[in-house]
Amino acid sequence: MIIATAVLVVLAVVAAGAAHRQDPAKARGGALAGLRMLRGMLPLLVAAFFVAGMLAVALPTQLVHRFLGGASSVLDVVIGSVAGGLIPGGPYVSFPIIAAIHQAGASLAATVAMVTGWAVWNLGLLSFELALVGPRFTLIRVSATLLLPPLAGFATHLLFG
Amino acid sequence: MQRTMTVILFAAGVALGVVAFLEGGWARVGAGLRGTGSLLVETAVLIAAAFVLAGLIQVLIPRETVTRWLGEGSGWRGLLIGGVAGALIPGGPYAYYPIAVAFLRSGANIGTIVTFVVAKNLWTVSRLPIEVALLGVHVTWVRYLVTLAFPPLAGLLAQALFRGGGRWVRDGLPEAAE
Repeated sequence: MIIATAVLVVLAVVAAGAAHRQDPAKARGGALAGLRMLRGMLPLLVAAFFVAGMLAVALPTQLVHRFLGGASSVLDVVIGSVAGGLIPGGPYVSFPIIAAIHQAGASLAATVAMVTGWAVWNLGLLSFELALVGPRFTLIRVSATLLLPPLAGFATHLLFG
Repeated sequence: MQRTMTVILFAAGVALGVVAFLEGGWARVGAGLRGTGSLLVETAVLIAAAFVLAGLIQVLIPRETVTRWLGEGSGWRGLLIGGVAGALIPGGPYAYYPIAVAFLRSGANIGTIVTFVVAKNLWTVSRLPIEVALLGVHVTWVRYLVTLAFPPLAGLLAQALFRGGGRWVRDGLPEAAE
């Protein structure tokens, strides 16, 4: 966590420096736009962390162990993929939740399948896609990505299991 | 949309709190609240830095530049550029789907657009810090490695299954996108 924070702070400083060299107003504008975005998302973030915190104590650890804990790689990967697709929201909402499930005992393959399922089967994204690009694109995109989450899970199991 | 989402999440948190209470009483609920608090404190600087960086990237990489890179792309070059653009473009679906539509209009083929969207979903650089912070270096490394080939693979598959799909999608764009 400290390393990730340091990397991000350094990146932000470098980006600010680059923007400042182009135009000082640009650097201030970009940083302020980011902070405005943060202010807008703050309630959502707090809510997501609340869910993650409660999930960590409410998740029946035995249940996670039984369904995602590595006893059956097929079951792990399939349930992980589907669960990932059902987890709502952006990364700040879903990653705390996925991390809680992983810490409760989900296997590496199940966790990778969950992240991949969240990324490409995401039900929440579907409404944006249908509204903005239309059902024809959704049909093509879904057909091309249908097998990816379980594929990622099984590859993880074979390579790192 | 965001407000509804916030309300739903808080309701889910309360419901989970009830489950925790039934399992372990107030002590369990208290532990959950303490966990929430320490998560927030531990990630506060990280999150603030992430948002400042996202804002700066938006002013540093103008949208027109990305559109230019991808608009003319086709074949392997298009897939590669689509993948890299998807990995680099910051912002949520309300930001990258309109850009995908812009690429489609400028004549990009369906494989490039599918690669772009899947790369945004799987390779996105801006999500890397939060993924590392919350899931750890090992899980994140394995996850990126295992899904490394997926975006161009999905693009090729889309191209093979739906030859000429770009025009078909373009003709069926929602009216709001016209």
